[in-house]
Amino acid sequence: MTGPGAEGSERGLRPLGRLPPPEACPRREAWQMARSLSRRARQTVAGYLFLSPAILFYLVFLLFPVGLSVYISFTNWNMLAPLERARWVGFSNYTYLLTRDDMFIASLKNTLVYALGTVFIGMAIALGVALLINNVRGSALWRFLIFAPVVTPAIAVGRIWGGIYHPSQGYLNQLLRAVGLPPQQWLSSAELALPSIMATAIWAGVGATVIVFIAGLRNIPAQYYEAARIDGARPWHEFWHITLPMLRPTVLFLSVTGLISAWQVFDLVYSMALGGTEAGTTPARAVMVVALYLYTTAFRNLRAGRATAGAMILFFIIFGLTLILLRVLRRGGLEAYE
Amino acid sequence: MGRNQQRRGWTLVCTAAALAAVMAVALAGPGTALAARTKIVWQVHWTDFQIDGIYQGDRLVARGLRQWVEEYERTHPDIDIELQSIPMEEYLNRLIVAQAAGTGPDIISVLNTWGPQLVYDGVLDPVPADLVADVRSQYIPVAVEGATVDGQIWGIPFEVGNYALVYNKKHLQEAGFSGPPRTWDELVQMGAKLTRRAADGTVERYGFAFLAGWESAVVHPYLGLLWSLGGDFLAPDFSRATFNGPEGLAALEAELQLFRSGATDVSASVWEFPQGRVSMMIMASWYESSLKQAFGSEYEATVGVAPIPAINGKSVNAAYSWWLGVNAQSRVKKEAWDFIRWFTAQTLPDGTTRMGTYQAENIGSIPPRKGDLAGHPEQLDDLYTRVFVQELANARHEPNVLQGAEIKTILWHEIVEAWHGRKTPQQALDDAASKIDDILREFYG
Repeated sequence: MTGPGAEGSERGLRPLGRLPPPEACPRREAWQMARSLSRRARQTVAGYLFLSPAILFYLVFLLFPVGLSVYISFTNWNMLAPLERARWVGFSNYTYLLTRDDMFIASLKNTLVYALGTVFIGMAIALGVALLINNVRGSALWRFLIFAPVVTPAIAVGRIWGGIYHPSQGYLNQLLRAVGLPPQQWLSSAELALPSIMATAIWAGVGATVIVFIAGLRNIPAQYYEAARIDGARPWHEFWHITLPMLRPTVLFLSVTGLISAWQVFDLVYSMALGGTEAGTTPARAVMVVALYLYTTAFRNLRAGRATAGAMILFFIIFGLTLILLRVLRRGGLEAYE
Repeated sequence: MGRNQQRRGWTLVCTAAALAAVMAVALAGPGTALAARTKIVWQVHWTDFQIDGIYQGDRLVARGLRQWVEEYERTHPDIDIELQSIPMEEYLNRLIVAQAAGTGPDIISVLNTWGPQLVYDGVLDPVPADLVADVRSQYIPVAVEGATVDGQIWGIPFEVGNYALVYNKKHLQEAGFSGPPRTWDELVQMGAKLTRRAADGTVERYGFAFLAGWESAVVHPYLGLLWSLGGDFLAPDFSRATFNGPEGLAALEAELQLFRSGATDVSASVWEFPQGRVSMMIMASWYESSLKQAFGSEYEATVGVAPIPAINGKSVNAAYSWWLGVNAQSRVKKEAWDFIRWFTAQTLPDGTTRMGTYQAENIGSIPPRKGDLAGHPEQLDDLYTRVFVQELANARHEPNVLQGAEIKTILWHEIVEAWHGRKTPQQALDDAASKIDDILREFYG
């Protein structure tokens, strides 16, 4: 036997593209129909049949919910009444959010500041730490210590830092007093609350970024540095002209994943400023973030339609930012030297 | 047919039967009659000892909800009551999700703020006539008002909450005050004198702290002032907000006096009262057990409670309430109402009800049924709760308005803006009123 199916046949498999004789087929009509299809069409059908569980999964768990969310965003659904009783309101949820709702606008601004601040300041700090501990003795211990906050639940981090920021009993103000500086209202001041939460987020997340940077640093071939040193490069030149360009894929990865994650921040703000009975008097406009706004709108204010419209806006913002980052940072690393 | 084929056939039949049984149970969901027992699901916002009871060693000193339910199940062997315990802050979320999925509980504990929306969306079953009559005749007016939406009673009140001035007796004595402030001006003056600062200006002790952190915490004390000054929150027909008039402005100015005098600031927190870092606060009735626990043997010597200082010669305080309703989607509505009737309306020989006893002895809250208010002097006539019970006579229930939580949240955020000085009081109130007017137009226009 020759042809593409021969090898399979020798292993005891049915040759690809061949059909059994009509008498072996349980239903003659089916066999004739199948035979009438070209080999390519049969392969295509078979391919889709194999893919069908995955396609079904995506239809049920991704496309359908997304489609439904888009629909809900154009209604006044409150989740208590059946969806079919919801009224179609056109773009009014979107126009209200973008033109009338100053809390949503404030939440967009705050989240943008939070995302840019935590991601880029966090990356700068993480890169510095990664360079410091990459090749030192006891690097594994340092990595462990720096990574520890990453595995601490955000609510616990919020509580711990809430104590550190406490106006009269917190360590931070005690430190300020010890050096003769005036104590601050870290979490209740409109000006300081968001930066204080951002600092906590950076502390809590920098460990993961350090680990990724260390992996990136270890992937840079040593010969680049050797060649540079032979040419008389100083450490700063090595960093600027070798390390940083070679880390561009790492920076891209961290920026994209970090920004997507930062735009969804909820737990830290909730636990440190706006959540429940032990929260203080932080002005909501100073710290409200989009995810918390959406939660409040959907589940407290019973406006699922408006919250879903906000989620759509959030999606397009994250999508746009990701595209920009991909455009700006997609080249780099080894391929830049090819 | 070969033996193997026969066995396979039986296996298939048994598997199919088992699957069918599992599917039937799964599809049946809560609130169904399983065999001879009828299952009633009650979603409660109580947790821990409130469900399981309070024990001293092995001795049960205050029944939890479970023990009451077990008593009902013993006397009604055909009934099985499942308690779904959900923390208060997640209660509405879980109810919404369950309702959307068609698996809502049979009995719902309703905070009055949610009531109008639950009624409007057909979530609640109308209350049987005998229970309506019982509520009208046996409950205090403020609780009846709380369970009423559009003139109709939609549930059985089981808790009413209001506010009073809680103060640290020792702080007041140290500062030379013989008693708590009786007027708002006295509160401002005393608050300023009670505040203690370190050499670097750090506040070591606040003379006064406002409750904060969620909408009712900030809005209820403000409403008390507003009503005392003769103003109103919303127009009676809910056509517009009315709190941004002169009385509303005066009420917010009264709060700001405490900030300007140095009695408080935005960092002051009522949760530091137990640590002795706050001398006075306007607090709700449910805080008693925390204070007892915090002060231990010093509780009676330290904690004092008084009516909220009068402003304009009046001291109206805002009230809220909880009530029990039955899910209109429930398939066991009659059984659910029967249980509620047994728990809340059937009186014991001493004139109290089981629910009233549970509220007073275990939860530590104020039951709104007259017989229960009179029948638990040990809990309701004590150092802390006595004033709250007395002040119910001066209490006014917050309005049951659609989107109540959203409306209060808007006002809360704007009041806090004024506390921080980020907006003038008038600007804050006008901004809140403008947004609330939009909501009222949407739902009542």
